Amino acid sequence: MNYFWLGSLLTLLVSACSAPPAKQASSPITIRWSRDPSTLDPLALPNPSAIDAANLLHMALLATDFQANKYAPALAQTLPQVRVLADSLTALDYELRQAATWDDGRPVLATDVDFTLKLLHCPGLPNEGNRAQYGFIREVRLDPVNPRRFTLVCRGRGEEIMIASGDFPILPESALDPAHTLRYLPLAKLQAWPAARPPAPAVAALVQRYRQANLAREPSHLPGCGPYRLTAWDTNHQLRFRRKAHWWADKVQSAPPVLQARPQELVFAVLPDDDATALALRRHEIDVYPQVPARIFQQLQASPKARAEFAFYSQPSYDILTAGFNTRRPILRDKRVRQALSCLFDPAGLSTATQLGQGRRTVGLLPPGSPFYNDSLSLPSLAPDRAMTLLRQAGWQRRADGHWWQPGATHPLALSVRYRTEETTFATTALQFQAAAARIGITVTLLPAESSALTTALQAGDFDVYVRLLKGSPLGFNFATFLHSSTIGNGNLTGFSTPLTDHLLLAIPAEGDARRKRLLLRRLQVVLRDEMPLLPLFYLPTRLVVNRQLQHVVPSGLKPGYALTALSWSDAATPLANSQ
Amino acid sequence: MWGWLFGRLARAAGVAWLITSLVFIVSRQLPGGPDQLVVADLSELGRPVAADQSVASQQAARLAVRRRLGLELPVFYVTHRANQWYWHGPANQYHRWAVAVLHGDLGRSYRDGQPVGALLWQALRFTLPLAASAAGLAAGLALGLGLYLARRPGSPGARLLVGLLNGLQITPLFLVALGLLLLFANPDLLNLLPAAVQTPTEDGGQLLAYWLGRAALPLVSLVLAVLPELTLPLAAALRHEATTGYATTARAKGLPLGQVLRRHALPNALLPLLTTLTDLLPALVAGTVVVEVLFAFPGSGRLLAEAAAAHDYPLVVAGVLLTALARLLGLLLADILYFLIDPRLRPS
Repeated sequence: MNYFWLGSLLTLLVSACSAPPAKQASSPITIRWSRDPSTLDPLALPNPSAIDAANLLHMALLATDFQANKYAPALAQTLPQVRVLADSLTALDYELRQAATWDDGRPVLATDVDFTLKLLHCPGLPNEGNRAQYGFIREVRLDPVNPRRFTLVCRGRGEEIMIASGDFPILPESALDPAHTLRYLPLAKLQAWPAARPPAPAVAALVQRYRQANLAREPSHLPGCGPYRLTAWDTNHQLRFRRKAHWWADKVQSAPPVLQARPQELVFAVLPDDDATALALRRHEIDVYPQVPARIFQQLQASPKARAEFAFYSQPSYDILTAGFNTRRPILRDKRVRQALSCLFDPAGLSTATQLGQGRRTVGLLPPGSPFYNDSLSLPSLAPDRAMTLLRQAGWQRRADGHWWQPGATHPLALSVRYRTEETTFATTALQFQAAAARIGITVTLLPAESSALTTALQAGDFDVYVRLLKGSPLGFNFATFLHSSTIGNGNLTGFSTPLTDHLLLAIPAEGDARRKRLLLRRLQVVLRDEMPLLPLFYLPTRLVVNRQLQHVVPSGLKPGYALTALSWSDAATPLANSQ
Repeated sequence: MWGWLFGRLARAAGVAWLITSLVFIVSRQLPGGPDQLVVADLSELGRPVAADQSVASQQAARLAVRRRLGLELPVFYVTHRANQWYWHGPANQYHRWAVAVLHGDLGRSYRDGQPVGALLWQALRFTLPLAASAAGLAAGLALGLGLYLARRPGSPGARLLVGLLNGLQITPLFLVALGLLLLFANPDLLNLLPAAVQTPTEDGGQLLAYWLGRAALPLVSLVLAVLPELTLPLAAALRHEATTGYATTARAKGLPLGQVLRRHALPNALLPLLTTLTDLLPALVAGTVVVEVLFAFPGSGRLLAEAAAAHDYPLVVAGVLLTALARLLGLLLADILYFLIDPRLRPS
């Protein structure tokens, strides 16, 4: 027996040294995850790994089409028909696909959607994030004739409502509530249920059943309608998913990209360290390396052997590196001071230093390719002379000691910058700002902090300047959550607001006409540039490295950075032509 | 002796409980919290809800998270607010936790609702064999190298070895581990050992061979990390013992230096080594985060580090309790070994 183990070990070592085996169509595709999903409970998906996994097990009404970078119908037959019911109410008419079924063969029906939305609001389940996210859906009206048709009555207006209304995994009513006890409890009643009041008996029983199912670790306890099943999960090590032999979407004629599931088996290797991941890629222990840091990407591209074995993709994401100013601080109340400080950031230099020059500079909160982008504004750039001019206009004077003083002030102009510690891009940005400010006599103190400590400090208004990421999307334009006066101290960290911006922020998502929406968005970009509560520096790139034997690679600026289920092994191991 | 042992055990348990209680109370005072992580960040663009509704619902959601996790209760029996003390009786978080722990229930993880004990055990299955093997291997090597350095002080080989050990001692663990990884798992250099290859689907020998291969580099990293602090003091102690009267007498009677060192000097020189070895016991429980992260080893160090970052208090507190117990039991073990080796130290 000892010899057998020794032999196995030697085999492993020898195989590690040998050339990678040719991949079959059924070979698993191994993908790097930087962290374990922690939980696969469809009601609580706390990180990108969990969301990726849930998208394999479950399906939503709508899903992201990574080729077009927009939402497309998944369980729904088509995008919903939008009807305006009143000033602040919208009706969305959906119909589910005829072919859609659960694993047990039962059809996916409107009652399942109704049940899922109610489940999202049951107290005692880990659904608090969903309650906040989907609280705008007030009612589900089932069609009395067609069991696959239903109408969602939503609070609010605009395209964003339509997108968000279909962005949650649909769960089977028959598995969790076989007696249909929740059907008699209106959604609005669940939403308005007082926190102090004990839950209704039907809800309490459902919550009990849901907890007993232990879906966080055992997702197989619930039939899904997604294309894959979880076959193994070694915490902090790897997860394996196998494609269902008979998935309902296989019957859909000319299936759209969101209903394609090519890989027979997907393995997610949890590798927290980027250097170790790069080596694992080089050793063909993983096939897909998404969200590659700039340094690793450059090192891999510099290796001729790696270039021959892997395809490299880089394109702008929708995450914006942003500097924000605390407008509640007396020294930062004057917009000319904020404008002056914004002239001390060097977006072009920072993009070169941190992102290999692949950051996409922008004038505002919209990507340059957007039809709503205001191209009449100039790109922000490093301009210390202009900064000094603006400071003088704001009443600051540079004294012989080199510092800037206001008449009657006891301290010269000095600032602190808060940022998250783990990411070098933030530190580099803060250091560049500090150096540029020092050159014109402004003292800047750097205050790096751990993520949650930073959030607490920012929400408490305990900062002068912050550097952080705004996680963006091309799919919605609701900037009110972090710029509107009603969100000051919560999402609105800068404390900035004016009646004009408040008006624009509420008008934009509600505007249905594209031309008027464009005017409103362009106007907002001009106002924000002038008021300068925050300075968007550039859109970060997203980088992807994949084994060249993989085909149908669809890189995307949207998370996770590629279309996972589109991938497949090519029969011939010839390099793909479209690598960059 | 038994009375002394029970007294020390009781004291160790008491101190571990005190440390854990402090961590329990302090962790609840930290900024942020699990509710902050559960509720999505409002600065994400493209959220569809109206701003005012969004803020209200976010606050309600955070309150609901705290209620579900039992964090809405006072932390301790008494609290101090506005210059006044308030008594809460047993309706507080600490009381509930303490009663549960005394019943053998370490609580459930905030992240996935799984029993903390099971999660810790799952991770310790990887960390315990790795850290114990590293400690054993390092102790064996330290004995051999210490005897060699004491026998041949000043020789070129000894000088080289001391230089290497000193170099290792000042090198951070992550650098040692990264160097090994880049040397032995690199297609451009020595592509010998797996870095993160998939687990074989079969059980038995193949799986064991897989984990042996996976554990090789982490094991070497840990051994190299602790080897200098075990070897150098041992060599110094052996050299000191070699100059004492009893060693000189033994040599004068014709005993070779090697035997003098092994038979007579080593038992006396071992005492500092035992202290250092038992100091490694907490690492058996807490894991070695650096090595586990770098080599993607699913051990308890990573589990606890991630739990701390996610404000998963039950897991963090249980980890602290186990680590504190391991530390205190390590000290107790060192005392017992001292008594066994040197009867003069035994309590009267």
